[in-house]
Amino acid sequence: MNPALHVVNLSLGPARDRRLHAIDFDLAHGERLGLLGVNGAGKSTLLQLLAGVLTPASGEIRVDGIDIHDDLAVRTRIGYLPQRLPLYGELSVDENLAWAAMLHGLHGDAAADAIDRVLHQVGLAGVRRRLAGRLSAGMAQRLGLAQALVHAPAILLLDEPTAGLDPLQTDEIRRLLTGLDAAISLIVATHLLDDVQRLCSRVLVLDGGRKRGDHAVTADADLLAHFRTAPSLTGTDAR
Amino acid sequence: MIARIARHEWHRQRAGLTFWLLLAAGQMTVAWLAFAQLEAFADIAPRLKAGGATLGATDLVVMPTFNSLLLVLLLGTPLLAMGSIAGEAHSGRLALWLASPLSASRIIVGKVLGLWLGLLPLVASASVTLAALGIGVALDPARLALAVAAMLIVSLWLAAVTVWLSSLFDRPAAALTASYAVLLFLWLLDTFSGDATSWRTWALLPHVQPMLRGLLRAQDLTYFAATALTALLLTMRGLDRRRGRA
Repeated sequence: MNPALHVVNLSLGPARDRRLHAIDFDLAHGERLGLLGVNGAGKSTLLQLLAGVLTPASGEIRVDGIDIHDDLAVRTRIGYLPQRLPLYGELSVDENLAWAAMLHGLHGDAAADAIDRVLHQVGLAGVRRRLAGRLSAGMAQRLGLAQALVHAPAILLLDEPTAGLDPLQTDEIRRLLTGLDAAISLIVATHLLDDVQRLCSRVLVLDGGRKRGDHAVTADADLLAHFRTAPSLTGTDAR
Repeated sequence: MIARIARHEWHRQRAGLTFWLLLAAGQMTVAWLAFAQLEAFADIAPRLKAGGATLGATDLVVMPTFNSLLLVLLLGTPLLAMGSIAGEAHSGRLALWLASPLSASRIIVGKVLGLWLGLLPLVASASVTLAALGIGVALDPARLALAVAAMLIVSLWLAAVTVWLSSLFDRPAAALTASYAVLLFLWLLDTFSGDATSWRTWALLPHVQPMLRGLLRAQDLTYFAATALTALLLTMRGLDRRRGRA
């Protein structure tokens, strides 16, 4: 059986100035993976590659065995929440979701049903007619998450999903993510150890665009140690 | 799917203030100019008739007003187009467009048609206003129809060109500035090119004026079709380049 996501030798940028260097990993169906690293480690860039926003200089990204650049249709199996929320402030919650649904080929009754489902899932059904520009930060983040979920993706890519939120809003987003269907594979890019500890079963450590570690996340895992051993922070980078 | 993207773009425009301000300002300007022309025509009409001149309201009221509408479109379209790609990039929404399964060609054609839909109310309201003059004065319906067709062609051309210019930038203000620079250049090229035929080929007005005079020429249609198609192809290439594929 193919993994949900198969990433081989993924690099970005010209050979002399790589932003990402030969990243390899597999993501199993239903697995929850954290991308951990300091700012500038390459987490967002890696997610942009996995989402298909960018095309790698080398390597391949396969979803259920299909390369996401060879067959664009396979991208409907991916949901992506960028760090900057992709919202139209002048459109309502409903309309923003209709746009996200349209991008993935949903329309008519199928789109309406999907929007109803996801609005209830993220708890925004009561504000569906409100303009996105008038939502609180926590609600806007939930709307972004709903956009990523509206087409029922098999893989969910989240870039700093709790960044800039207050503790209550952060807890709400984490609760939503832990309550997702167990079949959904999840990749969360974050520099918050708490996010990894609560949401992920495995963590990839990135530093300077390179994969520096691949660890299981256990209750007693010392995630801070992974940060401490990052070469860019300890001055031992031998690139 | 192209129709859905166009509808989304059209809906997005209607949700913003710029569209309504542009529509209101455009309608007011065109109506004011039409009535100013009509007033002037009413003053000189008896003298024209006495002198046996063949010029009528179509020449002296309708066509100058369509000329003014062209200027309104030239000034207004970049305001709507700057959000098409540059605005999406600036706000971070372009990431979702690029991550989608949609091809660049569908996205771009949809966005251009959506922008064109946004320009149609202005063209339609001006056309209806001018056609309504036919209640009181004699108009040439064939020339009026050709002038409306010219405005539809030019507005579609403007949509394609300004969306291309929008795709070159990540900041709407930069896209707006570039659009005004290019359109002003094409507008004034006719004035400054003198007898240099090769330069006049690229100027905008020599391709619009014949249609407003009642001439439908293949060379004018070719100019609009070729430049609009080139703009579309360049925009698609630009979007693919953003995806890192070109």
